[in-house]
Amino acid sequence: MKCPSNAWEEADLLAFSENKLEARQAARLSEHLQSCAVCRTVVEQQRAVWEALDVWEAPAITADFDRRLHRAMEQDAGRWNRWLEPLRLLLARQGLPIAAATCLIVVAGVVSHRPADSGVSPGPAAARVENLQPEQVEHALDDVQMLGDFTRAARPDTGEL
Amino acid sequence: MGSFAAALDCDAELMIRVKGGDDVSFGLLLEKHRSSVIHFLYRMVQDQAVAEELAQEAFLRVYRSRSTYEPTAKFTTWLFRIATHLALNSLRDNKKQRTEARLDGESGEEPAREVSDVRPSVEQAMVREARLQEIRQAVARLPEKQRAAVLMHKYEEMEYAQIAKVLNCSESAVKSLLFRAYETLRARLAHMA
Repeated sequence: MKCPSNAWEEADLLAFSENKLEARQAARLSEHLQSCAVCRTVVEQQRAVWEALDVWEAPAITADFDRRLHRAMEQDAGRWNRWLEPLRLLLARQGLPIAAATCLIVVAGVVSHRPADSGVSPGPAAARVENLQPEQVEHALDDVQMLGDFTRAARPDTGEL
Repeated sequence: MGSFAAALDCDAELMIRVKGGDDVSFGLLLEKHRSSVIHFLYRMVQDQAVAEELAQEAFLRVYRSRSTYEPTAKFTTWLFRIATHLALNSLRDNKKQRTEARLDGESGEEPAREVSDVRPSVEQAMVREARLQEIRQAVARLPEKQRAAVLMHKYEEMEYAQIAKVLNCSESAVKSLLFRAYETLRARLAHMA
């Protein structure tokens, strides 16, 4: 529908037909309706639509609606608990072994992912000695012995060279 | 505007209490909005059992979301958004066919709610029933979004702006939906005057 004079919007006609238009505007529109058959028809038909829709009542709500809803809410909460319960039980009964195993896994992960040369300055010598193997000590002593022999042989005052 | 703010504060306040673990406040919200949600859903899907099922789901979703609730919009806007979403999904899940079957064949099951002292004659009852069926069919044949907009506008008396928020579209889009819907309804129902 379009008012031939473009004087009124459909929103105004809708509001007028349900008596929601502001009083001064409603008076102006009433006056307009006397001369505009198009707008008058829209208002009359729209009022018929309102009346028809008013006849359509919704049925009564069933008496146990709330009870069913609360049961559904409890079941919903129960469902979450069912999912979480095994985890909770496991933690309660075997919390310490699980915690220990978790720590081990974390430590192993950190150690295995540590780069070979981390750029960290070496610690004190005492700390490093703890990591030496007997073979390494033996080789080191042999090296010292060899170096001593070589030094002695190289001295000019001995006259051996 | 004052009443809007008051309603906003009241419902939001109750929902914040629900968030804090107060189930009594949820009961108050349910008491306040139960009828409007179920009636809206009934007129959308035109099946009372389905409407109640969907309303249960809507309130359940509100309850489930309590921990993350923030009062950024009017509570009823949020509630009707959930309800509309559920109704549209239900209609799209071919439940529409079941509704139409009821409209065609089982409309006599509608409970008699307007029992008056003077019992209407069989003829009057038949005329009334035929009239009701015509109204229900006229609404059912509207496109889903137009139907939702009309029901919120007519029965929930929502403003264009609130309907726009519920349907997640612009206010001008809502006006367009409503004008087209009412134009169709005028063509289908105006003869009833």
